[in-house]
Amino acid sequence: MSKKKKTKEDYYLASQWTLMARKLKKHKLAKVSLIILAILYFGALFADFFAPYSISNTSSLYKDTFPSKIHVMHDGEFVGPFVYGLTKTINKKDLKAPIVIEEDTSQYYKIGLFVHGDEYKVLGLFTSDIHFFGLKEGSNGGTSARIYLFGGDVLGHDILSRIIVGGRISLTIPFASAFISFFLGITIGSLSGYFGGVFDMIVQRIIEVIGAIPQIPLWMALSAAIPDGISTVKIYLYITIILSFINWTGMARIVRGKFLSLKNEDYVMAARLAGVSTWKIIWKHLVPGFLSYLIVALTLGIPGSIVGETSMSYLGLGIKDPATSWGVLLQEASDVKVVAAYPFKLIPIIFVAITVLAYNFLGDGLRDAADPYK
Amino acid sequence: MDKDNILEVKDLRVNIHMMEGELTAVRGVNFEIKKGETLGLVGESGCGKSLTCKAILAINDKKCEAKGSIKFNSDESGEVEILDLNPKGEEIRSIRGKQISMIFQEPMVAFSPMYTIGNQINECTRLHITKDKKKSKEISMAVMKKVGIANVEKRYNQYPHEFSGGMLQRALIAMALVCNPKMLIADEPTTALDVTIQAQILELMKSLQKDFNTAILFITHDLGVVAKMCDRVAVMYLGKIVESADTETIYANPQHPYTKGLIGSVHKIGGNREDRLFSIEGTVPLAMNLPVQCGFYDRCTVAIDGLCNKAEPELVEIEPGHKVACFACNHEGCKAECERARKEIAEREERERKEAELAAQEAALGKNKKKLFGRRA
Amino acid sequence: MDTNTNCNVNKDQTKSWDKIINSLKDFFGKDIVRYIVKRILMFIPTIFLVSFLVFFVIQLPPGDYVSSEVAKLAGEGEYLSEKEANDLRAEYGIDKPFIVQYGMWIRDIIWTPTDSQYYRINHSHHNWKYSFEQKKNVWTVIEERLGITILISSIIMIFQYAVSIPIAVYSATHQYSAGDYIASIVGFLGAAIPNFVLAFVLMYLSYKWTGNAQVGLETKEGVIGFLKSLVIPIIVIGTSGTCGIIRSVRAQMLDEIGRQYTLTARAKGVKESTIIMKYCFRAAINPTVSGLGGILSSLFSGSTVTAMVLGLQIQGPQLLAALQAQDMYLAGSIVMVQAILVVIGILLSDIVLAFLDPRIRYSGGSR
Repeated sequence: MSKKKKTKEDYYLASQWTLMARKLKKHKLAKVSLIILAILYFGALFADFFAPYSISNTSSLYKDTFPSKIHVMHDGEFVGPFVYGLTKTINKKDLKAPIVIEEDTSQYYKIGLFVHGDEYKVLGLFTSDIHFFGLKEGSNGGTSARIYLFGGDVLGHDILSRIIVGGRISLTIPFASAFISFFLGITIGSLSGYFGGVFDMIVQRIIEVIGAIPQIPLWMALSAAIPDGISTVKIYLYITIILSFINWTGMARIVRGKFLSLKNEDYVMAARLAGVSTWKIIWKHLVPGFLSYLIVALTLGIPGSIVGETSMSYLGLGIKDPATSWGVLLQEASDVKVVAAYPFKLIPIIFVAITVLAYNFLGDGLRDAADPYK
Repeated sequence: MDKDNILEVKDLRVNIHMMEGELTAVRGVNFEIKKGETLGLVGESGCGKSLTCKAILAINDKKCEAKGSIKFNSDESGEVEILDLNPKGEEIRSIRGKQISMIFQEPMVAFSPMYTIGNQINECTRLHITKDKKKSKEISMAVMKKVGIANVEKRYNQYPHEFSGGMLQRALIAMALVCNPKMLIADEPTTALDVTIQAQILELMKSLQKDFNTAILFITHDLGVVAKMCDRVAVMYLGKIVESADTETIYANPQHPYTKGLIGSVHKIGGNREDRLFSIEGTVPLAMNLPVQCGFYDRCTVAIDGLCNKAEPELVEIEPGHKVACFACNHEGCKAECERARKEIAEREERERKEAELAAQEAALGKNKKKLFGRRA
Repeated sequence: MDTNTNCNVNKDQTKSWDKIINSLKDFFGKDIVRYIVKRILMFIPTIFLVSFLVFFVIQLPPGDYVSSEVAKLAGEGEYLSEKEANDLRAEYGIDKPFIVQYGMWIRDIIWTPTDSQYYRINHSHHNWKYSFEQKKNVWTVIEERLGITILISSIIMIFQYAVSIPIAVYSATHQYSAGDYIASIVGFLGAAIPNFVLAFVLMYLSYKWTGNAQVGLETKEGVIGFLKSLVIPIIVIGTSGTCGIIRSVRAQMLDEIGRQYTLTARAKGVKESTIIMKYCFRAAINPTVSGLGGILSSLFSGSTVTAMVLGLQIQGPQLLAALQAQDMYLAGSIVMVQAILVVIGILLSDIVLAFLDPRIRYSGGSR
C-alpha cells in the first residue's frame, strides 16, 4: 500500500523528461526502433570492423556476383559454415555467354568471427586488421575466395561492406543537418517570436517561401552548386548545409509559435514582475516548455533528410564515387534490366527503408510521450 | 409509474470503462420529476450530475454504460423506458429535442462554429415540427425573439463566433425550447456567464417555464441559483443522492453534513463580517475501488467511527418528502438505518473472520506440504 | 488597405470597381471578399520572394555564364584574355551587383520574346532567360513538359483525396475496429516509406511479372493506354500523400467527434450519420484543404526522383538534366514554376477554406 502511494507520489513529482522516458518505454515500436537505430549507428561508428572487406578491395572474379551461398556439408561431411570459391571457365561453344563463373567445390573456406583481413584505422587512432567476420585465411589454403553476403557490385566490391561503410554518410548527414537546423531554428525562431514586428514578418515570409518550394527540386538545385573535384569531407559538409536549409524553417516556426503563445502566459508575466531577466525567462521558463516538441520535430525531420541525401546521391548530385553512401549504391539499380538480373542490388533500399521507418516510429513514440494529455 | 411524474429514475448506475479499470461514477440514483416542476440536482464537480442527465437522453459516451431504469412519461409517447431504447434509433431521436431537450454548460462550444445560429436552431424545428423551410424559419425566429435576442433577422444569419457568451446561452435556450419540450435538462446553464447575465438567463428560464409548463431538471453547484429556481432539491455526492427535500426544507433544516456544509459555504447578505465562510475540507475521492464506507466519511466532521467507515447509509425518509442518507442524524428513520447497518457490519465481519481462518488453515497446510516436499528433496 | 488603394484611383474607375466589389460582397458576403483581396495582395510579395530565392540559387554554382563560354571557346581552340572576358561580363551586365542582375532577370522573365527574336538578341545581348544547353527560350523548354506534369499531378491529387477521405472517415467512426487498425498501419507505413523505394520495388515487381518494365508514359495508345501506364506512378507518387491524408483526417475527425457540439446535435435528435457528415466532417476537412499547397509541393518533390526511376517524361528528369549540364537558368525556372504552382495552390486552398470556414473570413485569416 505504501509502495503504491510512493510510486504515485513519484509520478507527480517526476520531471517532464522522466515522464517522457517512462512513456516512451511503454511504446513498444518506438523502443524497438531505438534499438535498431542504436545498432545501425554503432555499426556505422565501427564500420571498418563490421565490414568484412575494405571498400577499395575489389575482385574482377566477383563482379556482379550473387550473394555467397553458405554451406555446412562438404563431401558428405559436416565442417560448419563455409563458402566455396569461384572459378572462371571459358565456354567457346556458347557465344552468347562465353564466360562461365561457377562455384569451385574442390576447396572450402570456413567462415569465422574476428578474422584478419584488410587493414584499417580504428576511429582514426590505431591500425587493426581484425574484422567481425570473414573467411578464415588458410583454413584450406588459397585466399582468392570471398564471402559476399549481399553479392558484389559492378566493380567487384562487396555490397555488404559498402552498405556498412556507406551508412557512415547516409546515417550521419541527416543527423548532423538536424542539429544545424535545430540551432538555426531555435535562434531565428526565438528572435522572431521575441522581437516580432518587421523582423518577424520578414522571417515569416522567408519561411513561407522556402516551404513553398518543393523540397527535393530545391535540394537538387542547391547541390548543383557543389563544385566538382573537392574532397569528400567538403561534399559532406555542403550536403549537410543544404539539407539544413529547409529543415530549420519548420523548427523556427514551432519555436516562434510557442514563443508567441507562451510569452503572454501568466507564469511568464509573474517571472517578469518578479524581476527575472529576459534571457533567463527565455531559457529557464520558455524553452523547457517546448523543448520536447522540438525534439519530436527534429526526429520526424530526419527521415526526410535521409531520403534527401539518398536521392541526391542516387541522382549523382551528392556524394560521388569513390566515396560511398546508400544513394551511391543505388545508382547501379537505376536500370530495370540490371535490377531484374541482379535483384540483390536493391538490398541498400531495405536499409534506407528500415532507417526511415525506425525514425518515424521513434518520432511517433516521442510525440505521444511528449503529449502531457495522454 | 405515477401519472403526475414525467420522469422516474430508479437505481441508475453509470460505469465508465477506463484504461485503469471500471469507474462507477453514478452509484444508484433515484429521483422523480413531476410535470411542470423544477428539480435541482446539486453537487460538486465530478459527483456524477452531468452523467446522470446525459443518461436521461442516452447521449453518453461509448465508454459509459448506464444501468437501472429511466422511465419517461408523456402524453405523446406514453410511458417509455429510455435505457431499453437503441441510443442511435429513431424512437429515442424523436424524444430528444422534441420532448426532452438539454441546455449545455458552455454555450461557447455547444454550437458548431461552421454553421449559422439560425441553421442550428432551425435544424431542430425541421427535424421535429415541420419540413417546410419558411415555416420552420418563422418558428425559430419567433423563439429567438422570445428568449430576448434582439435584431433577430440579422442574428439568425450570424455565426457563433459573432455572438457574445450571454447571447449564445440565449440562443442555446432558444434551441432547447423551440419544439416546446415537456422536459428541459439544464446542465449548469449559467456557470460560464457573469453574474448580471446569469440573473437575466434565470429569469428568462422561469418565465418560459410558466409559458410552456415545462419540467426542468436543473443541475448546478450553485446553491444561490437553486434557491431562486427550484421547487425541490436533491444533493448528490460521489455518485449518490445523499439528501433530497423541497427547497425550503433543505435551507431551513439540512440534515446531511454535506448539505450543511454546502449551505454554510454560501455567502449571506447581512451576515456578520467576522463570520467566516464555512468550507468543506478535502476533495471528492475518485470513484474507483471505493472501500465500503460512507462516501463522505473522509471529509465528515460528525462521522461515527466503526459505523460510517464500515457501511454505506441508504436514503431514508425522515419526514414526508425529506430523505437523507446519513447515520449521524438524529431521526427515527436514521436510527433504524443505523441498526440495519450495524447488523450488516457484524455479519460481514463474522464472514470475513471465518474466511480468514479458512485461509490461515490452508496456508498452514500448504506450508506443511512444502516442508514435507522439501525434506523429501 | 484595399479600400485605400481603391480610393486613390480616379473616380470613374473607383465607381466601377466599387460596383464589382459591392456586387461580389452582396453575393458572397463582405468578409469573404475582403479576405480574398487580402490574400491575393499577399500573393504578390510571396512570388517576388520566391523568385529572389531562386535567383540566389541560380547564382550559387561557381563560375558564371562568361566563364562557361570561355571554357567552351577554349575547347574549340579559341582563347580569350582575362580583359576580354571581363569586357564580355560588362557587356552582358553580369559584373553588376547581385540586385541589379536580379532586376534584369525579372525583366527578361516578364518580357517574353519569341524564339526567333531570341536568336537575334542573343548575339548582341546576354539574355537571362535562355537555356544554354537547348539553345531555346526557357519557356519553350518548360512548356513541353509542364502540361503533362500538371495533368499527372492533378490526377494523383484527385486520386489521393478520393481514396484517403472515405477511408479516414470510416477509420474515425469505427475507432479501434479491425478496419481502423489496418487503415492506421497501412497509413503509417505508406507515409513513412520513401517514394522512390516504392518505385524501385514496384518497377522490379512489374518487370518480374509482366516481363516488361512499366517504364515511361504511354502517349500513343489513346486514353486507356495512357491511364494504364499511370497506374504505377499514381501508386508510387500518391501513396505517401494518401497515407498522410488518412492519418491527418482521421485524427481531425476523432477530434471533432469528441467536441461538445456533436453532443448538442445528438441531444437535438439529429441522426448519427448527419452528425458525422454535417458537423464533424465539415470541420475535419478544413486542415486537409489548407494543406493542399503542401500536398502539391510534396507531389512535385516526390515525383522528381520517382520520375527518374520510372522514366516518366515529366519535369523531374528535365530538371536533373539541366542541373547536370549546369544549365542554371532552365533549372532555376523549373524550380520557380513549381514553386509558383505551389503558391497558387496555397492561395486557392486559402480561398476555398474561407468559403468553408466562417471563422477564417471573420478573423481575416492568419495562417
